[in-house]
Amino acid sequence: MNPEEIYNTWKEQKSQIEVSKGFSSKVMSQIYQYEREKKKPLIDGHRLIELISTRPLGKVAVVAAGAVIGLVRITFVIYAFLGC
Amino acid sequence: MTQETEIIRQVLEGDIETFRFLLARYEKPVIRMIRNITYDTESCEDIAQDVFLTAYKKLASFDPDRSNFSTWLFTIARNKSLNELKKKKPLLMNELPEKNNPHDPSDDMTKKEFFARLDNILQTLPSRQRRAFILAEFEKLSYAEVAQIEGARLGTIKSRINRAKMRLRKALEEFAGDVV
Repeated sequence: MNPEEIYNTWKEQKSQIEVSKGFSSKVMSQIYQYEREKKKPLIDGHRLIELISTRPLGKVAVVAAGAVIGLVRITFVIYAFLGC
Repeated sequence: MTQETEIIRQVLEGDIETFRFLLARYEKPVIRMIRNITYDTESCEDIAQDVFLTAYKKLASFDPDRSNFSTWLFTIARNKSLNELKKKKPLLMNELPEKNNPHDPSDDMTKKEFFARLDNILQTLPSRQRRAFILAEFEKLSYAEVAQIEGARLGTIKSRINRAKMRLRKALEEFAGDVV
């Protein structure tokens, strides 16, 4: 076998490949999973409630947010009262 | 409208299953290209999965007026392969296996050694030369397509491929000289 033939056989060999049987199914399942995740709402109500109720920090954050909103509201009321 | 453009249109309209046609057509060339660039037979299919998922996600950005689908897909595969290579240690010349002293150039063992030698030389080529050579010689892409994938001028690509060929042929002749 001369070098030219070897070179061509090598190129031929490099062009061959075996693909595992489940390859396309794996890709398709990844695509379907991607689509499912895309369709999920950005804010999931149930997940949010679960997060708040199961974590102490979540509860603290809700109470703190409520207190801040309450204070802001009282401030607006006082401001409106004094403005009159 | 080409068949591929029609398939892409259907996928974009929500017929996800049609994507299988593109997968069936391109899985082999894409995996082969990744394997030949990264020299990683174990993870080339994982990288290819990532390539097809990325292609699916970005399918809306594919413009048939700018390139063929194959060129667009190979560009994604090329970029993913390069990212994978960056994570790995480069192969050094002194890591290459020693040449044996074969006696009969016609036997299988010698052929394997020739192939191993060519593989080693291919691995040690400058990465741009190697990629251009792989795309043109193994994937049988036109020089214009290779230029588009590599983002280089046609003349530059021709020169890279010629230099790669010359280096491989020279190595092969040297090795053949040693053998005979």
